[in-house]
This record gives sequence, C-alpha cells and structure tokens, in this order.
Amino acid sequence: MKLFLYQLKQAYLSLKEKPGFVFSVVSTMGITLGSLLCVLTLAYVMLIKPLPYPDQERLYRVEHQLISNEGLVDGRAFTYPNLMHLYQQQTLFSQSALSYFDADVLTSNANEPMVTISYVTPQWFEIFATKLEKGRAFSSSETLDTYHPVAILSYETWQTEFAGKSNILDEKISFGGNSYRVVGVTAKNNIELPLAGPGFNTQIYVPWDFNPFSEEQRKRWGDDDSGLSFIGKLKAEGSSTPSITQINHQLSTLINDNWQLQVSHQAFFKGWSIKLEASLLQSYLVGDSKRSVLLLIIGALGLVIIACANISNLFVSRTAERQQQLAIHAAIGASKGQLFQTILAEITLIMSLSMIVAQFITFAGFTALNFYLADFLPRVDELALNAFSLSASFSLLLVLTLVFSYLCRNMINYRSLNSTLQSSGKGNGIQVSKRVRNILISSQIATATALIFINILLYTDAIELVDQPLGYETEQTFAAVLAVANIEETARSQKLSELKTQLLSSPKVKAISQGMRPSIFSTRAATLSANNHRYTLSGKDVDHQYFSLINQSIIEGDNFTEADIKDRTNVMVINDVFAKMIAPNGSAIGMKFETGRRVIGVVKSINIPGRNYAEPRFYYPASLARNMLLIKLHPQQSLSRTELVRELKGVSAQLSLFSYSSLTDYKNERLFSSVATAITTVVLAILTLLLSALGLYGILSYASHMRRFEIGTRLAIGAKGKDIIQMALKDNANAIIVGVVLSLLILLGLYFGFNEQLHSYLSTEILPIFISTLSLILLISFFACYLPLRQYINKPAIHSLRGSD
Amino acid sequence: MSVILSMDNVSKVFETEELETHALKAISLTINKGDYVSISGPSGCGKSTLLSIMGLLDVATAGKYFIEGVNVTELSLDQAAEVRNAKIGFIFQSFNLIDELSVFDNVALPLRYHSDKLSNDKIKERVTLCLEQVGLSHRISHKPNQLSGGQQQRVAIARALVAQPAVLLVDEPTGNLDSKAGDQVMDLLESLNKNGTTICMVTHDPRYADMATTKIQLLDGTILKAPLAKMVG
Repeated sequence: MKLFLYQLKQAYLSLKEKPGFVFSVVSTMGITLGSLLCVLTLAYVMLIKPLPYPDQERLYRVEHQLISNEGLVDGRAFTYPNLMHLYQQQTLFSQSALSYFDADVLTSNANEPMVTISYVTPQWFEIFATKLEKGRAFSSSETLDTYHPVAILSYETWQTEFAGKSNILDEKISFGGNSYRVVGVTAKNNIELPLAGPGFNTQIYVPWDFNPFSEEQRKRWGDDDSGLSFIGKLKAEGSSTPSITQINHQLSTLINDNWQLQVSHQAFFKGWSIKLEASLLQSYLVGDSKRSVLLLIIGALGLVIIACANISNLFVSRTAERQQQLAIHAAIGASKGQLFQTILAEITLIMSLSMIVAQFITFAGFTALNFYLADFLPRVDELALNAFSLSASFSLLLVLTLVFSYLCRNMINYRSLNSTLQSSGKGNGIQVSKRVRNILISSQIATATALIFINILLYTDAIELVDQPLGYETEQTFAAVLAVANIEETARSQKLSELKTQLLSSPKVKAISQGMRPSIFSTRAATLSANNHRYTLSGKDVDHQYFSLINQSIIEGDNFTEADIKDRTNVMVINDVFAKMIAPNGSAIGMKFETGRRVIGVVKSINIPGRNYAEPRFYYPASLARNMLLIKLHPQQSLSRTELVRELKGVSAQLSLFSYSSLTDYKNERLFSSVATAITTVVLAILTLLLSALGLYGILSYASHMRRFEIGTRLAIGAKGKDIIQMALKDNANAIIVGVVLSLLILLGLYFGFNEQLHSYLSTEILPIFISTLSLILLISFFACYLPLRQYINKPAIHSLRGSD
Repeated sequence: MSVILSMDNVSKVFETEELETHALKAISLTINKGDYVSISGPSGCGKSTLLSIMGLLDVATAGKYFIEGVNVTELSLDQAAEVRNAKIGFIFQSFNLIDELSVFDNVALPLRYHSDKLSNDKIKERVTLCLEQVGLSHRISHKPNQLSGGQQQRVAIARALVAQPAVLLVDEPTGNLDSKAGDQVMDLLESLNKNGTTICMVTHDPRYADMATTKIQLLDGTILKAPLAKMVG
C-alpha cells in the first residue's frame, strides 16, 4: 500500500510535466462521463426511482373508461357521479383521494392573476405526506359536504402572489365568486405530483366540495371530464396482494353494475359499459417520456464510446513514451505486478480527476434539464447528485480505470523490456499494433458517422417544423380569455360588445375578433346530408373579422358577414382539406350537413405550430357572448395585462381577465420541443465531430510518429510529399471503409429494431443526409491523415531520420 | 574525368534558442566519376551532417553544391526528392529497410518513385539484377526481419543501386554489423567500385577508411589539409 501511495505521488509529479495530455484526457472524459451520468440519473429518476411518498408501491391511479356498444373505448375520463360512487363505496384501497385540476382568476389580488387550482379531498395530503411550511393540511373538518371554505397555498404562490408575507394565515382570497381563508402553506422542498402532466403544478388547494361542477352536472352519469382523478393506496393485507386483473375486475364491477341501473332509461347507452383500469402511479407518470430518455441515453453512450477510443489511444501512446522509463524500473528490480501498479497509479489519478470534473458537468446538466425541460419530462425536479449517481460514477470510474490499465499493461512485454535499454529504443519496442490502431479508427468512424447521421436527421426534422410557414400572422396579435361567470348570461353579449367598441376606440388597437385563437380547435362530428356520411373533424367558433385579422386567405366563396354573426345563421366555412374530402371533383360551396349547416366559403389551411399536417376543419359563427378575443395592435404598440384589465373594469367590474398572451408566445410554446431538439442535436453533432476529429488525429498522429523512420527512408529514396500522403491514405483506407460499413450496419439495426418509433422520422430525405454525413467524416479522416504528416514532409528528409542511428 | 559532386564553401549552422552550432565550416571538395572517397573523423566532427547535405537530405546554410554540373543548392523539397531518386543511392548505418515489405519490394521502391514510370517487367529486371550483384537473389521473397544484419545491409545496397545513381553515399555501413559481416559488406563495396560505381563513404573505422582511394579527414567541421599527426604536434 505504501508503495502504491508512493507511486501515486510519482504519477502526480510526472503528470505535472504533461499538462496537454492531462487536459485532453480530463476534459474529454469529464464532459462525456458527465453527460452520461446526467442522462443515466435522469433515466433512473424517471423510470426506476420510487416516488418520494410513503408506501409508494401501493399507490395506484384509477382510469375510468366508457366502452361504447361497439366495444370501443369512447372516453377515458370519469363521470362525476361514478367517481363519487367509487370514492364512497370501494373496499380495495385503505386510503383514497380525489382531485380536480382547474384554473381561475384570483380576484382578491390587485392584478388579478390566473392561478391553477386543485380541488382535493383531505386524504390527498395524508397519502402524499405533504410537507408544510406554515399552518395545517386539510383534515376531517374538510371532508365531503362540509363546505368549509379554506385554502392551502403552494410555497411558490405564497412568495410570488403574496410577497411571502409572514401573516399569510387567515388571509382571505377569492376566485370563482367564492371567498376562502388561507390555513396553510406547503413547504419549499415539497415534491408535488403533477397528475395533469409535467409543468402543471398546483398553486392553490381547496376542498373538494367547491369544485366547479354544478348541482346538476354532479348528477350527469354520461358526461365525462378528464380533470377528475382518483388516487388510491392499496390495502396491505398480509401475504396476498390482488393482481391487477383482480383489482380492475372488482372496481369495474362495482361501478358498472351501479351505472347500468342509473342509465337504464337512456337509450343512447344501451350496450355501453364502464371499465376501470388501475395502474401504478409511478408508471402512469412516466408515460411517453420513456422514448425521449432512451434516445438521450443512446446519444450519451455514443459520445462515451468515441471518447473511450480517443482516450485509449492517448494512454497507449503515453505508455509507449514511458517505455524507456518503465524499462529502467524493471532493470532496477520492479516486478510485473509493480510495473502494472505504476501504470495503474497514473491512470487512477487522471480518471479520478476526470470523474470530479464529470460531477460538475452532471450538476450543470441537472440545472439545465430542470430549467428547460421541467415542463416536458416528469420528475425532473427530483434530479440531484444522489446515491444512484454516485454509485454509477464510482462503478464507471472503477471499470474504466481497470480497462485502460489492463490495455496499457498488455502492451508491455516484460521479458523484452531489457532489450529496450540496450537498443536505442527503435525497432522492436512497444508500439500500438496495426490491429489495435485499425480497431480504434474503425470504431471512431462507425460511432461518429452513426451519431452525426442521427443528429442531422433529428435536426432536419425539427427545423422543418420550426420553419414551416403557418399560413397566418402572429405579430402584434394577442389572445385574451375573459372570465364572465359573474355576469348574467343575457347581459354578456352586451357587455362584450361594449368592450369591443371601447378597445377599438384606442389608437393602439388595429382590429378585434371575437372567437377562439388560431391554433385551438375542438373535436366535432358532422354528418353530410348528401350521402349521410359522418365525419369527425376539428371545429371552432369565430366571427367575421377572424380571417382578415390573422390574414388567412379565403380561396373560394364568402366569409361570414356581420349579420351572420348577429343572427347566428346556420352557415360554416371549411378548410381546403375538408373541401377536398367532401367535394373531390367540384365545389363544396352550398353543401349541407344534417344540422342544416351550409358551406359558404373555403379557406386555405393553416399549420398549427409544431405540426406539419392539416386535418379537416370547419368554422362556424361565434356567439356575441363568446368570452374569447383576439386583439391586433398597430405596429410598435403594446398592451399590458394591467392595461387590459383596466379596460375590462371600465366596462364592468364583473369582467375579469383569465388568460392573456401573445400568439407569438403560444407559437413559441408549441415549438419549444422542436427548438430544444434542434439545439440538442446540433450540440451533440458538434461534440461528436470535435471528439472524433481529435481522436482520429491523435491515433493517426501517433501512427505516423511511429513510422517516421520509414517516412524518412522513403523521402531519402525519392518520395515526394504527395507520395507520403497517398501512402498514409491507402494504409488507413481499409479501416475507414470498415468504419463506414459498420455505421451503416448500426443504422440499419436501429431502423429495424425500433421501426415503429422511428417511422415518423423517415419522411425526410435520408440519402442526402447520409451523403453529407459521410462527406464530413471523410473530410475529417483526410485531415487526420494529412496533418500529422506535415512535420515530416515540409522539412528536409534528415529531420525524419534523426535518431534512427 | 567527369565531376560527379562538387561543393564550394558549404557551411551548416544549427540554431537553437540558446546556442549556435557550426557543424560545417566552408567545406569545398570534388568527387569524380569512379572515385572511392572516405570521410572520417572523431565523433561530432560533422561527417554525418556533410553526408546528409551531399545526399540532399538536408540543406546547407551557405555555399554552393553541384551534382553532375547542376546547381542543387536551392531546390524545393519536391525537386530535391527527384534528384535524390535519380542521382543518389543512400546506404544507412541502420539499414532502414521497411519491415512490412518483402526484399523485392524494398529494392524496387526507388523505381516506384521514379519520374519515368517503368513497367512491371522492367522493374523486375532491374531488381533481380541488383540482387544478383549483392548475392541475395535467393532471398527475394523474404522479409527484412528474416535476414541477418549483414544480409539486410546488402539488400540496402541493392536498393541504393537499383535506380542507377550517379553516386553511392554510404553512412557507417558496418556500424551495426559484426566484423565478419562488416568485411563482407566492405568487400562488396570495393568490387562495386572496381566496376565503376562512384562511392563516398563516412566511417570512423580506420581499417575501412583505408580501403578508399581518397581519404578526407574532418575535424570540428573543417577538412584537415595536413595529416593528423602534424596537428597534434
């Protein structure tokens, strides 16, 4: 042990003299290992790590399915009464909780912000062991039908909307026409479960009783709402845990039997049934993100492989360099094992340093992931340097150190070290065998080509989506959703018309449209009278200003008129995709649907940001009581939320602003994942290029260094610079070709192995991308061959021959 | 007597950051066709440097150098390679054969770089001839590391002869050989010279130096005009 410590010290002193070498290894390994660890920890947190709640392996989410009389799943959401029935009658779960996720305007705050609200039963806080900063959680005083108007704020809400004031408890807040008393604040480090999806965190908790379902809606057995959720903790009954099938069967029977009785009088539901499916909460939360994580792992692994090939080469060259030194150690009496320890000491030191750098990179990676992807990947907020990441780091460190050490050790023939001292170090000394060199080159090229190809493909795909023309304008246009619940229905049209007039009178406002914003559609069904064919398509309500405001072209027929909107005539405008569907050989104008609705115009389709296809769509006149506005401002003008709220209040104190964003913001939101993909792939591709260029250069530079006497001899005989370059290219051509073929095999393997997942990416032109990738790699290979030769062919031949005698 | 090589006040200075080494100082000499010249002197006297400049492996710092009447002092690297290939046959102390190539390919190598591309038959003809001259035609398919030191050096000599150079430049040919192999090589060189080959050889072994017809002594970068004994006195 003492010897090893001594060797470590010697290694440190020796490495001090080689800052370039140390820097190359530490930076390459640090960055790639850091990335790999970051991605592995992400995979662990998302896929393996248990949820941070007590008894999480018994936590289930129950899904409610409406099965049509054709046996197809018509909807996957609870109906209110079924949910209540389940909650009150089930016997499988020892604890269960309900939640409904919604949003509303906090009218008690001066700037009337929109806040997200979860209506929950008190067991919610028990099941998730919610940590509190202040006050208390809901308890028996908030069970069903107590209507106790209390609220719990999230830590973040307390800080941002209430300035973190210390006397927050007992503060009164109001929204949706009700007033609540704050009784608690969740802790800063409390990990919430965003059931509605990543990014949908709750700002205010309120008892279940106050959910926005009216008395009448609470009795509708056939209407489902996807915001209704049921979480249950399975009873821990001794040895036998029921299987999923048993659980599902029991729950389905419980609900279905009762439901059939309740809807027996409704002809529509004849032959329909209810099915309940429970799934472990943990797996439900991960959902589709598995694929993204796997892709990231592949990318990181690829980088590590390239880096390892580079580093192997660096270590091997270093060992060859130290050959003389090692021979002296052997001459003095070092045994084989002790020589191995010398090598091990140096490699341990460098790899440990790399691993420390990697930890910083991993931490930076977590921060970046948290910042950019918290809204897209679940459980990202649980990313931290934890036991998993540390044990992964340690294992990687151990494995890599041993692998590199054995690689170097195998280079040394202990018996012939002696001759190294006697000869001048030329000829039969330690060299990287041609086979190892070719393996290193081929593996570099194979991995680099495959990785770069994949990244360029993903990039092209993403950029196409980002760049595609929308077919409508978003500049200077804002979408406002108003909260009008407090205004009597009959008065709404009048108030909203007043509002429109008032806004138009402002010099800032260019145009107003009342209706939904461009990228939102709801799913409708329409039956064509002519052939009784039922179409499912997207539809939305707009007014006569809509198309001109967003500059969407009308290509046939007419737009809605002001009278159409006022009278709500039974007309519709359809997009060209739908027009082609219902009138493939003629004009769709005048065609009628079962409801009596008549087509009066056809518009050119728009592209929703983030999607590259347009589905069939139709537009119908919006009611004058529609609570959504599109506001187009004149160039260089701006209208803040506060200013708009002031205008609203000017018309009626009961008008509130629910949401207000620019269309450009919405567009960027939708394009976010494409932009993130584009950026990530570019970064990965550049890193791959850099690493492989460095690696290839290193390998070939070493190879030409080893052959310098041969190069000198050829020069002496009469070879010119270009002859030497040709020789180097020919010698490495095989390895490069093998590398390219290998990459093709890898890509084909990926294609066949993951066909369904990759299918959507194969629409772009693969061949030009592969050719450009290949050209890039070949260019790098050429320079990697050529550059190391320059020192030999640009000087008189004697320089390459020095030392050969 | 035609002049093969002529040097006029050739100097070579090696410069590093800290010091300037004057390896050769104003060397002037002439080698005629058929000459057998030896250059000897103590370690560090500059003889290897002189030979490299003669062989266009290095560039002189000052002076003029002519090969067969052509001024080759300021050639580009590529031009120098052409002249080397056509006019010079170099034989190194450490043989400098290429291990991956067979004896045949080693000897043929200069012809492959030749500016007139010869046909494969012509190449075979020349190579076989030169190997016969050095007595190694029975080893034509072997690899260099299958041969003894003496045999390797003779292959190197065959390689030096294959392009029919104007002069053979030989750098310590017996340095890595035992005395018997060394004698064999020296005998070969002598017989080559008797058949008309011009040879300029660097050696520190006085026995072998004596085998040459003209002996040049180098000391500290200059040619000694007087015999060594007088200088010491």
